[in-house]
Amino acid sequence: MGYRIKVTYCGRLLLRLALLLIVGIRPLVGRTVTDETGRTVNVPDHPQRLISLAPSVTEIVYALGCGDRLVGDTEYCDYPPEAKRKPHVGAVLNPSLEQIVALKPDLVLGIAEANRRETAEQLDRLGIPLYGLTAHTMDDMLRSVHDLGGLLGREAEARALIERLQARTQAVAERVKSRPRPKVLFVVWYQPLVTAGPHTFISDVIRRAGGQSVTDDVREEWPRLSLEEALHRDPDIILFPRSESFAPSLEEFPKLPGWRDFRAAKNNRLYFIPDTIVRPCPRLVDALEEVARVLHPEPAATRPATGAQR
Amino acid sequence: MTLRATRRNVLSTVLLLSGALGIAGLAALTVGGVHLSPSEVWLGLRDAGMPRVEAAIIVRDIRLPRIMLAMLVGAALATSGTALQALLRNPLADPYVLGISSGAALGAIVALWMGGRVAAASPAMAFAGALLTTAWVYLLGRRGGRLASYTLLLAGVITASFLSAVILFVLSRLSTRDVRGTAFWLMGDLSVVTGVQLRLLLPSIALALAGLYWLSKDLNVLLLGEEEAAHLGVNVERLQTVVYVLASMLTGLAVSVSGAIGYLGLLVPHLGRMVVGSDHRMLLPTAALGGAIVLVLSDTLARTVVAPAELPVGAVTAVAGAPVFIYLLRRARG
Repeated sequence: MGYRIKVTYCGRLLLRLALLLIVGIRPLVGRTVTDETGRTVNVPDHPQRLISLAPSVTEIVYALGCGDRLVGDTEYCDYPPEAKRKPHVGAVLNPSLEQIVALKPDLVLGIAEANRRETAEQLDRLGIPLYGLTAHTMDDMLRSVHDLGGLLGREAEARALIERLQARTQAVAERVKSRPRPKVLFVVWYQPLVTAGPHTFISDVIRRAGGQSVTDDVREEWPRLSLEEALHRDPDIILFPRSESFAPSLEEFPKLPGWRDFRAAKNNRLYFIPDTIVRPCPRLVDALEEVARVLHPEPAATRPATGAQR
Repeated sequence: MTLRATRRNVLSTVLLLSGALGIAGLAALTVGGVHLSPSEVWLGLRDAGMPRVEAAIIVRDIRLPRIMLAMLVGAALATSGTALQALLRNPLADPYVLGISSGAALGAIVALWMGGRVAAASPAMAFAGALLTTAWVYLLGRRGGRLASYTLLLAGVITASFLSAVILFVLSRLSTRDVRGTAFWLMGDLSVVTGVQLRLLLPSIALALAGLYWLSKDLNVLLLGEEEAAHLGVNVERLQTVVYVLASMLTGLAVSVSGAIGYLGLLVPHLGRMVVGSDHRMLLPTAALGGAIVLVLSDTLARTVVAPAELPVGAVTAVAGAPVFIYLLRRARG
């Protein structure tokens, strides 16, 4: 009898201990991390239902092989093509909170360069974890790949991807090393003329591709430049992102008043660059290689004779 | 049509409009980017369990606070418009037309520019901006000790466009991150709601409404003219100061949370006057409740027309408001 009572007692104790453990551990399910923007976020250990609030973030998620875990993205998420078929939560700047809640995400991913601070505040209020990325440089993008890899349990894939991207970046660096650096004007928008400041991944790409942005001394991120100032800075090469909204063709540009006076226009050195250059995602390296080809076309063996994107 | 402002008439008008507001609010609860059936909405409303089910989050934490904000902002803007129209004895007066909204917006943006992410900083600065602008326009509009109706309106229009220019200047100096949020807010946006805002707005707006209602008899007398009001024993200067502070407070509070939402302060008092006449004991509660109803309905449109994306509610009120205003103008003349 006494023995039996003891067992029950032990059993109860064990049960209590187990309960204590479970209760004690419960807040530890998931972890508290600091995201790239410096916010503290409680993220689940194995996020299974992701929502991406920006095209670049969507691309990183797919590049890590986690596209199947994405339950929602934005109307602008168009790559890879599967991303277009995901339920959309609205636009990058004003996603619908209702739609986000309805998709029951366990983690929302955003980026400080594209999303609104207010969106983060509203998600905080609703208790939906938001992990924010930042991208001022190409290395920031690689760090985002690394961080998301850790967050999604894809460390090995992230490491392999980063190594591949770094190898390609390195190859470009080797190729453009010790060559003269042409002066580059990057046209984010032409009416009014908006360019990329030095603390943007676009300027970083131009730098790594062996060029020098003519706006490297400007403090703003996306400075508006007067046409006369741009003419005065006399770029050797003018780059445009290729996108549907960019109407004039490269034949029309040199005819526009002001633009025809650029030395680059007279020398026929205006180029369209794949618009992945405005997305801090793995395909940014595609853009880097393209920009390097445009800035330094000399090793003709690697480049078809018909030329870059005229 | 004019209803005599007996206690019974005021009470039944308030009850009727409150009922309409309740119905508008319930209707707004049932529509949105995500489709919820009425029974799901009802369950969501009653479900207070933790963790919340999805319908409860959408209904209680997203739609309800936003509808309450729309009600408060709508009531504030329409009441402010009514008070300004009485104060300036000009039916075209309105916080938007007179530049007071722009003054409030500039105040809020300057608060942001100075790095203030303090919850009370932007309402306080918006109030200050509204107050200064009202005083400025009032002084400009006074010629030879009398309020000249057209001078006043022109002064307001010019002030509004000047302040817009200053706002654009400050915007161009803000960081990209702040500009994105601020541009949305400037268009008139109710999508960002915090508990702090509601707790701050509700008592302040209630206080200002009560204050104006208490002064409604004096406002009626003021409609006869300043001298006449003074002869009838109204302390005109004190009345004007109090009304102008209260109207600026209402505008400042509304603008600090929702940006510049136009036409509401102009149109709702007009519609109210058509229905209940210009006795302020009737008109003020009618305008407050009417403003709440109109903004709840406008914001429901803004939330649903291009779902899952959203329109700024200021665009909805402007698109709907301008034609209605033109219609009212022509009707009044003919």
